[in-house]
Amino acid sequence: MKAFRFIAENCDLCRKCEEACAQVCGSSKKQSGAYVPHIRVMQSPEGPFMRLCKHCEDAPCVDACIGESLQRGPNGLIIQDEDRCIGCFMCNMVCPHGAMKTIMSQEKAFKCTLMCGKEEKPTCVFACDRGALFFDDLRAQNNEKRRAKLRGYPKK
Amino acid sequence: MKKIKTASTTGRQHVIVGNCIAAVSAAETLRKMNPQDSIVIIGEEDVPSYSRCLITYFLGDMITRKHLLSHDAQWYAERNVELMLSSRAEGLDVKNRQVMVRQNGKNKTVSYDTLLVATGSTPIFLPAFPYDPDGIIGMRNYADSVRLKSWAKKGKKAVIIGAGFVGLKSAYGLVKQGVQVKVVELLPTVLGRMTDLEASARVKARLTRHELLEIELNNSVIATRKRGDGYVVTYQDGTEEACDFIVASVGVRACTDFLKDSGVDIDRIVLVDDRQQTSVDGIYAAGDVCRSRHIVTGEWIYNAIWPVAAAGARIAAANMSGEKLTYEGNIPMNSVDFYELWITAIGNVQDEGPDVEEITFKTPAIYQKVKLRGGVPFAFMSIGNVDGAGIIRGAIVGKTPWEEFVRRPNAKVLPVVNSYAADPAATACA
Ligand SMILES: Cc1cc2nc3c(=O)[nH]c(=O)nc-3n(C[C@H](O)[C@H](O)[C@H](O)COP(=O)(O)OP(=O)(O)OC[C@H]3O[C@@H](n4cnc5c(N)ncnc54)[C@H](O)[C@@H]3O)c2cc1C
Repeated sequence: MKAFRFIAENCDLCRKCEEACAQVCGSSKKQSGAYVPHIRVMQSPEGPFMRLCKHCEDAPCVDACIGESLQRGPNGLIIQDEDRCIGCFMCNMVCPHGAMKTIMSQEKAFKCTLMCGKEEKPTCVFACDRGALFFDDLRAQNNEKRRAKLRGYPKK
Repeated sequence: MKKIKTASTTGRQHVIVGNCIAAVSAAETLRKMNPQDSIVIIGEEDVPSYSRCLITYFLGDMITRKHLLSHDAQWYAERNVELMLSSRAEGLDVKNRQVMVRQNGKNKTVSYDTLLVATGSTPIFLPAFPYDPDGIIGMRNYADSVRLKSWAKKGKKAVIIGAGFVGLKSAYGLVKQGVQVKVVELLPTVLGRMTDLEASARVKARLTRHELLEIELNNSVIATRKRGDGYVVTYQDGTEEACDFIVASVGVRACTDFLKDSGVDIDRIVLVDDRQQTSVDGIYAAGDVCRSRHIVTGEWIYNAIWPVAAAGARIAAANMSGEKLTYEGNIPMNSVDFYELWITAIGNVQDEGPDVEEITFKTPAIYQKVKLRGGVPFAFMSIGNVDGAGIIRGAIVGKTPWEEFVRRPNAKVLPVVNSYAADPAATACA
C-alpha cells in the first residue's frame, strides 16, 4: 500500500503540484474554469504543510459518509462516487488530515481518488521538482519514521 | 479494525435483524470472513437497504428514488446474503436459537448460530401527538418519506414538532416542495445540545429567511386534534393553529420489542459489551439499538449516529466470526447544510462549569467555538466555515492540549485557531 509523503523542509510553495492536479484530475476540472486542486499546500508560521487524502488504512471518512459516496476501492484506495455526494460534510468532520476539499457553491466535498490515473507516480508528485512530495510504500515510510526517531530527527 | 482474517468455515448461520447500515456493514464483514457460512437479513421494510439519512433529501427532490435506494437485489446476490423483506422479528427463543418472524401475515422461524440485533430506532410519539397514519407521522424510513411526499403539495401547511437534526432536515425538504412549515421546539436552541444560543440564532435566521419556514423555540405542542381533513395543534400557551399534517421529531427509542423476555439485558437500549455482545452469548447488537462508548471519556452513551452503526457492526461481525475485537466508540457529532450554511458540531457544546473555558471566533459569516476543560478541547462547533473540522476532532479525540494543538501547522486551517494563535487574549474573550 502506497501513500503520499510530504517533506516540508524541501517545499518552497511553488504550487506546481497544485497546478498539475487541477489540470489533470477529472473532478478538479468540474469546477468550470476555476483552479481546484485536490492537493493543497499551505503556509503557516511553522512552515508549509500539505492537505491531501492519505488513503488511511482505517479511513474514518468511509464510515461517516451517509451518502455512501466514499468507499474503499478494490485497490485499497479511498474512492468517491461524486454524484452520490450530498454535501453534508460528515467526511470533513472526521478527516484528521483536513483532506476533504469542501466546495460550498457545489454543495459537495471532493478528494484525491488518484483519478489522474498515475498510480505509480501521481501527477502532483511528478510535478514536484523540489523533492518535497513522494508517493511510496507505507511500510518504507514507517521504517523511515522509525529510523528518523532513532536519529532524533526531525526535531520540529 | 485492521485486517479481516478468514475464519474456519463451519457452515454456520449468521442472522441479522434489521436492514440499514449496521446490517449491511455487518453482512459485508461476515461474508469476507466466512465465505462458506450462510447469512440471512430480516428486514421489516419492503425495500432493500438504503441510507436513512437521505430520506429528507428524497423528500425535497434533491435526490432521486434510484439514488436513495442504493442496495439493489444484486448487492445481496453478490455477497450471497439471503434477504427477507417485509419481515418483522416478533420474538426470540434464546434456548433453541430461533427468531420468530412475521412475513406478509405468515409466521416463520429462522434458526441462528450467531445473531446480530441491528433494528435501530424509531420515532417517539407522545399522548399529545399520537401516531396517526393519516397525518401524524415521524420521518424515519422510506415509507415515511413517500407518505410525506404525497402530502407535500404547494399550499399545504405542516407542523413539525422538534427542531433537532431530523426535524430541521424534514422542514428543509418540505419547504423545497412548497409546503408552509412551522417548527416548534421546547429547547431554547435548534439542533439540540450541539449549538449554543448564538449558533442556534444563526441557523434559525438562515432557515427562516425562506418565507415558508417558521421556527418557534421555547414552545411545545400540548395537544392535537383532527378537524376536517386536517389537524389543530394546541401550544403550551393555549394558542391553536390549523395544519394539514404533523411530523413528530422529538427523539427516538430503540427497537427492542422482539427481545422482550428473551434474556437480553435492556435498559431502554440494548446493553452490549466492548465486543458488541449482549448479555446472551452469541447474540450481538450494533447501531442505533444499543449503547456505545464515548471515545474520549470511555463512558457508555447512546450515540445514535451513522458512523457508530457502521463501525460497531463491523466489530460485531468480526466477533461473530471468532475474532476478538473491541470497539472504542465515537463522540457525539453531526454535520449538515441548510441553504449553503454549514453546521458541524462535535461533542457537547452546551457543557458548562467553572472548569470550562471557551474560545470563540466570530465574524458575520463565521462562528466557531471550542470548549476546553483542563486546557484540553472537548467540544467544537462551527457555523459558516467548517473546513478542516476533522483536524480539531483529531485533537478532541486524541486529548491534545490546546496550546500544543494551536502550534501544529495544519491547525491554522481553522479560523478560531488562527485568530487565537495571533492574539490569544482577544479570541478567548470574544
Ligand atoms: C432523516 C434522518 C437523517 C439523519 N442524518 C444523519 C446524519 O446526517 N449523520 C448521522 O450520523 N446520522 C444521521 N441519522 C441517523 C442514522 O440514520 C442512524 O444512526 C443509522 O441509520 C442507524 O443505523 P442502524 O442500522 O443502527 O438502524 P436503522 O437505520 O434504524 O435501521 C434499522 C432497521 O431495522 C428495521 N427493524 C426494526 N425493528 C425490526 C424488527 N423487529 N424486525 C425486522 N426489522 C426491524 C427497521 O425497519 C430499519 O429498517 C439520520 C437519521 C434520520 C432518520
